[in-house]
Amino acid sequence: MNITVEDVRQVWEGRDGSNLVALDGFTHTFKSGRFSCILGPSGCGKSTIAQIVGGLETPTSGKVTIEGANKAGSASVMVWQSQNLFPWRTVIDNVAFGLEMAGVQKAERADKARVLINSVGLTGFERHYPSQLSGGMRQRVALARALIMDRPILLMDEPFGALDAQTKIVMQEELMRIFDETKKTVIFVTHSIDEAILLGDEVIVMTARPGRIKEVLAVDLPRPRSVEMISTPKFGALFDRAFHLIRDEVTKAMQEQNVAAGAAS
Amino acid sequence: MKKLSRNAVLAERILPALSIVVFFVAWQLLVDLRNIPPIYLPSPLAIMHALISMVEDGSLFYNLAATMLRIMVGFLLAAIVGIVVGIVMGVSRIFERIADPWIAALYPLPKISLIPLLIIWLGTGEAYKIVISAVTAFFPIVMSTYAGVRQVDRGLVKAAEDLGANRRQTQLSVVLPAAIPTIFAGLQLGMGVTIILVVAAEMIGGSSQGGMGNLLIQAGQVLETEKVFAALITLTLMGAVIMKGQQWLDRKLTPWANLR
Ligand SMILES: Nc1ncnc2c1ncn2[C@@H]1O[C@H](COP(=O)(O)OP(=O)(O)O)[C@@H](O)[C@H]1O
Ligand SMILES: [Mg+2]
Repeated sequence: MNITVEDVRQVWEGRDGSNLVALDGFTHTFKSGRFSCILGPSGCGKSTIAQIVGGLETPTSGKVTIEGANKAGSASVMVWQSQNLFPWRTVIDNVAFGLEMAGVQKAERADKARVLINSVGLTGFERHYPSQLSGGMRQRVALARALIMDRPILLMDEPFGALDAQTKIVMQEELMRIFDETKKTVIFVTHSIDEAILLGDEVIVMTARPGRIKEVLAVDLPRPRSVEMISTPKFGALFDRAFHLIRDEVTKAMQEQNVAAGAAS
Repeated sequence: MKKLSRNAVLAERILPALSIVVFFVAWQLLVDLRNIPPIYLPSPLAIMHALISMVEDGSLFYNLAATMLRIMVGFLLAAIVGIVVGIVMGVSRIFERIADPWIAALYPLPKISLIPLLIIWLGTGEAYKIVISAVTAFFPIVMSTYAGVRQVDRGLVKAAEDLGANRRQTQLSVVLPAAIPTIFAGLQLGMGVTIILVVAAEMIGGSSQGGMGNLLIQAGQVLETEKVFAALITLTLMGAVIMKGQQWLDRKLTPWANLR
């Protein structure tokens, strides 16, 4: 299920009528079964492109084609930056949400949800509400809620961005295990260079806004991956490459913010 | 539940109760020692006696029941109509456009000023008391419901759509539950004004149908001040019980909103 993104442009209309070009000329083919990381400074349109691929936003112009999928979004499922768990639903009811909407019987969806809850290590927390869980646990619920849909494409928008360093490492390793087991096509958005190289088969470095692709780095580290690889020379070389690319863009983004702040004051 | 230290128990439980006792003792002493005429300020004991005799002759229960019934009917009417209209306004742009100017124009009107008009139209019977309280309670309920539906986190709606929910499912399974805490806040405001309006309407309306407002006015007119106080105490307790009951129900129905 290759995902072809052709010349996608996204213009957001502000409340005051001003236009903001979030993406401009984004073109890329996400290969089936690959783990692609999108790396870029904050505000460069990473979430926007992820949502466009997921059929959750319609681009101003350009085209997304998902091989073999008839309807936008039906082949993919999103794990959100802010988790977007339903606060009034318990863990098991959050995880089972998609099945419930599809009309699956209660007993059957509870069974399936338990399997997924177990696979993300949350057995025993089925009856908890999201507000009773830690950030890491909430992100596991979000992951289980997405995985239960059993869709071939997994979109992940900075899922570990808000986690502490230790929890993040555990979650990354778990995600790598799940990826190796399920062979999904993954598009993973992050602003962490380490994370992008550690997880991805390729790292798509984006420019500052308006976001387009600056460079695509192939990551030829062997799988299964582990966090120890961060200290290998190969990893270091990739990091340096990505760092130089991203540094220019972060500087650019910051200058732009300064100009905007100066104009506003 | 955190464990309270001994001092904290003293501060949180005993002192408030003590302050009430001190208040009534001081009141009793003031009335006794300064010989204040009971028609101005009856003593707490005299009020107690009045209360007991009203319980014994059944007048307290009769009037309280009449008031409670009107409150419940007026409130339920306002709640049903208010929630339905609020939800429809929140999900339908056309209905929102139509209803918005009406609500914006009528909201600031003190609803109590409609009493003369309603008496002309409906007389001073049950209909007028229920209509005035329901109309008043309708506004906070409809506004909260509408706000609750409109303020729903866009992220949750998108997440539901991503997980395959259609429009109707999204509204039922996401928009509505997300709005429930706000709707409950509106219902509490609505209950507050329902109580006020029912009692006020009973004061102005006829004497034959009873009610706490009617009891107050009747007692006041013949300077039975201890009865007035007895009725006020009853109303205070009634209000407290209703509000506490509502809060309890709120916690039962929205357990997720009351964690931590
Ligand atoms: N729904 C929206 N409406 C208007 N502007 C938006 C919307 N979503 C994102 N933006 C704006 O588009 C730009 C890119 O946003 P986003 O894709 O979230 O960036 P990133 O995820 O890379 O931080 C930002 O300036 C953001 O404020
Ligand atoms: Mg983002």
